[in-house]
Amino acid sequence: MSKQRLQNIPGNHACALGAVAAGCRFYAGYPITPSSEVAERMSAELPKVGGMFVQMEDEIASMGAVIGASMGGVKAMTATSGPGFSLKQENLGYAAQAEIPCVIINVMRGGPSTGMPTRPAQGDIMQARWGTHGDHPIIVVAPDSVAEIYSETIRAFALSERLRVPVVVLYDEVVGHLIETVDLQPAPEEQLASRKWAEGPREGFLPYRADADMVPPFPRPGDGFRTHTTGLTHDENGFPTQAHERVEAVIGRLLGKLDRHKELIESYEAVGCEDAEVIVTAIGISARAAKKAVATARKNGIKAGLFRPITLWPFPEEAFRKLSAGASAVVVPEMNAGQLALELERFAPGKVSALTRYDGEHIDPSQILKRIEEVLS
Amino acid sequence: MNDKSKIEKPVNVLIVGVGGQGVIMVSKVLALLCQTHGFEVKQSEVHGMAKRGGGVFSHIRFGPKVWSPTIPKGKADILLALEWAEAMRWLDHLKPGGTFIADTQRIVPPFACRNRKRGAERNYSRETPAEIIDKVKNGYALDAEGMAMTLGNRRVANTILLGVLSTALDFSPESWQAVIEKFVPPHTIETNAQAFQEGRSWTANAVKPLPVVSEAPSAESIDITTELTINTVWCKGCDICVKMCPERCLALNEDQEAVLIHPDKCTGCRICEWLCPDYAIKLHKRPNSQTEGTGAGV
Amino acid sequence: MNEISADSFDINEYLRLELFPHFLCPGCGHGMAMRAMLWAVAELGIDKDNLAIVSGIGCSGRMGAYVDANTFHVTHGRPLAFATGLKLARPDLTVIVITGDGDSLAIGGNHLIHACRRNLDITCLMLNNEIYGMTGGQVSPTTTLTRFTTTTPYGNYEPAFDACRLAEAAGASFVGREATLQVPTLKNLIREGIEHKGFSFLEVISDCTEIYGRKNALGNSPEMVLSQKSKMRPESYGGLMSNKVDQPFRPNPFQTGVLARNERQEYGELCRRHIAAKQQAE
Repeated sequence: MSKQRLQNIPGNHACALGAVAAGCRFYAGYPITPSSEVAERMSAELPKVGGMFVQMEDEIASMGAVIGASMGGVKAMTATSGPGFSLKQENLGYAAQAEIPCVIINVMRGGPSTGMPTRPAQGDIMQARWGTHGDHPIIVVAPDSVAEIYSETIRAFALSERLRVPVVVLYDEVVGHLIETVDLQPAPEEQLASRKWAEGPREGFLPYRADADMVPPFPRPGDGFRTHTTGLTHDENGFPTQAHERVEAVIGRLLGKLDRHKELIESYEAVGCEDAEVIVTAIGISARAAKKAVATARKNGIKAGLFRPITLWPFPEEAFRKLSAGASAVVVPEMNAGQLALELERFAPGKVSALTRYDGEHIDPSQILKRIEEVLS
Repeated sequence: MNDKSKIEKPVNVLIVGVGGQGVIMVSKVLALLCQTHGFEVKQSEVHGMAKRGGGVFSHIRFGPKVWSPTIPKGKADILLALEWAEAMRWLDHLKPGGTFIADTQRIVPPFACRNRKRGAERNYSRETPAEIIDKVKNGYALDAEGMAMTLGNRRVANTILLGVLSTALDFSPESWQAVIEKFVPPHTIETNAQAFQEGRSWTANAVKPLPVVSEAPSAESIDITTELTINTVWCKGCDICVKMCPERCLALNEDQEAVLIHPDKCTGCRICEWLCPDYAIKLHKRPNSQTEGTGAGV
Repeated sequence: MNEISADSFDINEYLRLELFPHFLCPGCGHGMAMRAMLWAVAELGIDKDNLAIVSGIGCSGRMGAYVDANTFHVTHGRPLAFATGLKLARPDLTVIVITGDGDSLAIGGNHLIHACRRNLDITCLMLNNEIYGMTGGQVSPTTTLTRFTTTTPYGNYEPAFDACRLAEAAGASFVGREATLQVPTLKNLIREGIEHKGFSFLEVISDCTEIYGRKNALGNSPEMVLSQKSKMRPESYGGLMSNKVDQPFRPNPFQTGVLARNERQEYGELCRRHIAAKQQAE
């Protein structure tokens, strides 16, 4: 490595470098605070490795161009923030339906609407999962440090390519602008692979006939498959169908493929959960505050633990259920009105205590510690 | 030099051609020329209605005193035709012993091709220049356009014809040239002067019977069979092919499907095939040598 | 380039025959536009494996599926955005966008003007039938004044876009217009558009006979096709005096043919040159 591997860079830059390390060779974006640094860094990095950078006319177009590049067989990414993420939802649904791999970075800011562009928030947890219309598969990863942004961006590409599903890298403005030391190690070999390319006879090829792993091989344009790609509900042959028995089968596979690969997708961090009476669950900057609060609580003799989902969606449900089974309470600090808490209520009914904040300030460890003490008393 | 006193009766010159060729321009040259020599000139023309491709004619009468503006049948001293079929059309206006000058260029009008089947005979004039030159006393038939092309500008064909015409009238070449210069674009004056000389020298060298300069081929006989197939499963009965067929050889049947009802009339023009929004019509063409004996449009 | 005469062009070689008959209404002009496009593709000898067709939503958008090539039926108004990504990532593909008047001028208007400005080597075919046919016949940005649609029950009072002038003003380096009535002429125009290095915008005057034609008593299918050249769109296209093309036997109320052309730098090439320079410097 000629380049210095240890660097002090902001999260948004780590994201761009992670993407390039993962083999991303196409970026289309539109400027928006607080994610613009991703685009800026990409515009500087991509030409060096022969990649294309294009600043599109709007958020919708950049999502479209990313999917278009990926349809051509190139690893592609875009970055945005709340309002832009809303605009991207239309084409995000297309990528999910047509199974086009792509990575979307969403650096969360205060909402709703234009909200507080320069203030952090974690209000897009639900939008990241359910933002586009209809039932659809999507993976969301939620790194909490600059180093993790780097590695999770790489993993996002790996998952997206492997499973032909859009992957959102979701983090808040604090982590995005935080400058930390990151080891820019090359991407792990197993995470560098591109999607499974279609091979074999062209005649009678069914572009959406999945292999045993429920993922269909990708026919690269120019390879002679001449397939049809559509956002309409389509059968294995790629052409639209509304026959209910076929729709159930094809949408069933679409929704089921993430479940099949749960182990590959799932990732979480658990600290001291085994004997914990109270478990704190959080993502991003809130998780970092929680980590400090849990450590302090342990020092004070409280059996506290941290459960941090790194893969936010699909939520590592089984692990959480198992680890939280013995706890009497689950504290959920989050910078919104209680989106994650609502979800966790399903897995730990009656135990969840939401610690919410949506004033554009991050949650302090002392607030979390206080809540831990409250729920135990 | 033309002596005014020598001419007692008006001289009749009939200039004909098709729209766009320059009949009017040629007439204006002659009319101005006569005027500058002190003659009374009457010019009467029909133009404009023809657009391009239709007939245009111009009567020019000049003399000491001219009363009537038009030339009756059999009274033209000179017939100058810029196109072959137009020459034939106006031949009856030439007086016995009159001078006949014609470009052998053929501009086939749409109405001469009413039967659009391949190989069908056209209703274009069948008289060959050789036949006509044989009949008239002073006949000149030449490929003026071809000659103009060798001069590098096909548009000077009319000036070549004026050169030929100048030999039949008693005006000096210099006075012709002076008038022509007034009508042509300045940068072509030199080429036009050449063309005028070309016409004059061609006439001087023309032997009788005059050589036939360009003989158009007889109606083309192309040995091709056309076959129209209609995929009724794809046909939605929009009626476009039926109404757009120039030969009216298609119809909708009781199931609202296009069918070929007059295969013998099909010319293979492909309009139905091109305009079928459902790609239900396909025209096949093959040389007859492969399909001996089958008639057109089977 | 292969010279494909009318005799040797077989459209069936370019179709996904198993999907036929197609789903368009009887007499729909889009079929003719597709024929012209495929004929142009055949004449240029473009390998079907390297042909990518990106289409949007609407009647026009559905046409792509019938072509035996790499076809992408994307979201409403966005085919140019998708095509931009595809062409940048895969300059080896011939990318043709099929879009409609609503798809490209209303919901996708922004993408259109920026595609024109960028000048990436894409051929954009806008099938203009003046109406939203797929949704049942609502007013579109090109609907002629006073015409009836399901959302202009008392007649349209919105002025129409002249898409070609819009594209030209936005910087498209090749702009042309032709009617579906003139299939061979349209084919030539599309061929020129594909050959042109840069963004080409081609407006194809098409007919919605079943909805627009009926609602406005424009005649049945053959009459509508025939009237394309004479009386259909005088208000939208600047009146009788705007004729640039010399067609003496057919008064032509709107301009057809190549309306604008310039040899601006192609965007993809600029991009790749920029990358090469950067890589060399590294």
